[in-house]
Amino acid sequence: MGEVADIGYWKLFAGYALLIIPIWVLWYYKTGLVKDGIISIARMTVQLLLVGIYLEFIFDLESNWINFGWVFLMTIIAAYTVVKRSGLKLKIMFAPVFIAGVVSIAITDAYFLGFVVKLDNMFEARYFIPITGMLLGNTLKTIIIALTFYFKQLDTESDLYKWYLANGATRAEALTRFKREALKIAFNPVIAATAIVGLISLPGMMTGQILGGSSPNVAIKYQIMLMITVFSSSIISVILTLWISDKYVFDGMDNLKKIFTK
Amino acid sequence: MIIQVKNIKIAYNSQVVIESLSFDVNQGQKVAITGESGKGKSTLLHAIAGFTPFQSGDILLFDKPLNESNVGFIRQQLAWVPQETALHFDSIREMIDAPFEFAANAGLKPSENRIKEVFEGLSLPPELLDKTPSTISGGQRQRVLLASSLLLKKPLLITDEPTSALDETNRKKITDFILSQKELTVVASTHDSYWMEKSDKIITL
Repeated sequence: MGEVADIGYWKLFAGYALLIIPIWVLWYYKTGLVKDGIISIARMTVQLLLVGIYLEFIFDLESNWINFGWVFLMTIIAAYTVVKRSGLKLKIMFAPVFIAGVVSIAITDAYFLGFVVKLDNMFEARYFIPITGMLLGNTLKTIIIALTFYFKQLDTESDLYKWYLANGATRAEALTRFKREALKIAFNPVIAATAIVGLISLPGMMTGQILGGSSPNVAIKYQIMLMITVFSSSIISVILTLWISDKYVFDGMDNLKKIFTK
Repeated sequence: MIIQVKNIKIAYNSQVVIESLSFDVNQGQKVAITGESGKGKSTLLHAIAGFTPFQSGDILLFDKPLNESNVGFIRQQLAWVPQETALHFDSIREMIDAPFEFAANAGLKPSENRIKEVFEGLSLPPELLDKTPSTISGGQRQRVLLASSLLLKKPLLITDEPTSALDETNRKKITDFILSQKELTVVASTHDSYWMEKSDKIITL
């Protein structure tokens, strides 16, 4: 298998020309999304360029502590993004989301890299950082959907929650139905997407590995393991976040505090 | 004493809704809370169940102060019927069964005969059990909630406008049925003159 063809910086710059079409569509239909679209592309470019530089640097250094620190920072940013995008108060919700993220990453990384791949050093940069990055990226959307739905439902259906409480339910019993609905809403798309992998979509990690020179057989095994890990990590993160947040979002009388920013 | 309300004040954002209110409710007593809209009837019921904070005074239920330590015990002695009847369930049977799944109500599950008896008392046909809440009328949904609360056999029923969605005939029949439960203490907010007439005590806000 030959070396992967590099993309020169001028060619990469020329690649941006493809954006003319989507930006024209957004402008023509007066969606108001042109500015946001351009900013998001610019942010993505700068972030990835910086990450590229940083990853080259930490791959050369190969220090467990720096790798660990980088993943810790990614988890902080992920937790911040989840809370902000869910429209929840950072002060109340950051800790539950962050703790749940750390625990779920620790469990799934240890299982994937330590037990399945059996690396001598599971903090090795070329495995630990991209795998954790993909786990975080792929679980973010599911956590945001679950959290938003859970708290919106508790807010709009507060009569049902109170009906449960005032008819003998403990707080945990009263919340069971709300958790069930949030899990259903968040995981239906995950289940549907998992079922069509390979048929309609070719996942990024597998494509990347094949482009990087791995055999499709190896790439597929990694991809299968990643899908299983993302699936597990999403559920662990969501349920842990909900369990932990239950300790913070209710007052002493089990009434929901004001947790939405708007 | 089932309920003691002692000189309570409830305010939302510095707007006082209830001030210097005191009353007692004895076991088996039927108490109607009435007053114009916005006078705080629902707020008072929510405060008694621990859902709305009060700024001063005390509320005691079953001789225990309503606070963080006792709220769990107190709520386990209640049956609560809200004014809002759009509770989402797949069937009426599920709605009736839901409270009996809680550990505090384990062993209280009623027999089919008891369910039929209560349904009959509230003019509800037994076939309703297989229907979905969205396919029955608001009045029927309200009665299903009342049936569920009576089946729980708790010592205290707190209910917000229990007859508001009922027609004239059902209103009287259901009022008689609920208020004839001798052991049951009932605290209801209401505008219904027949309910007030049949109550032992009226508190006007």
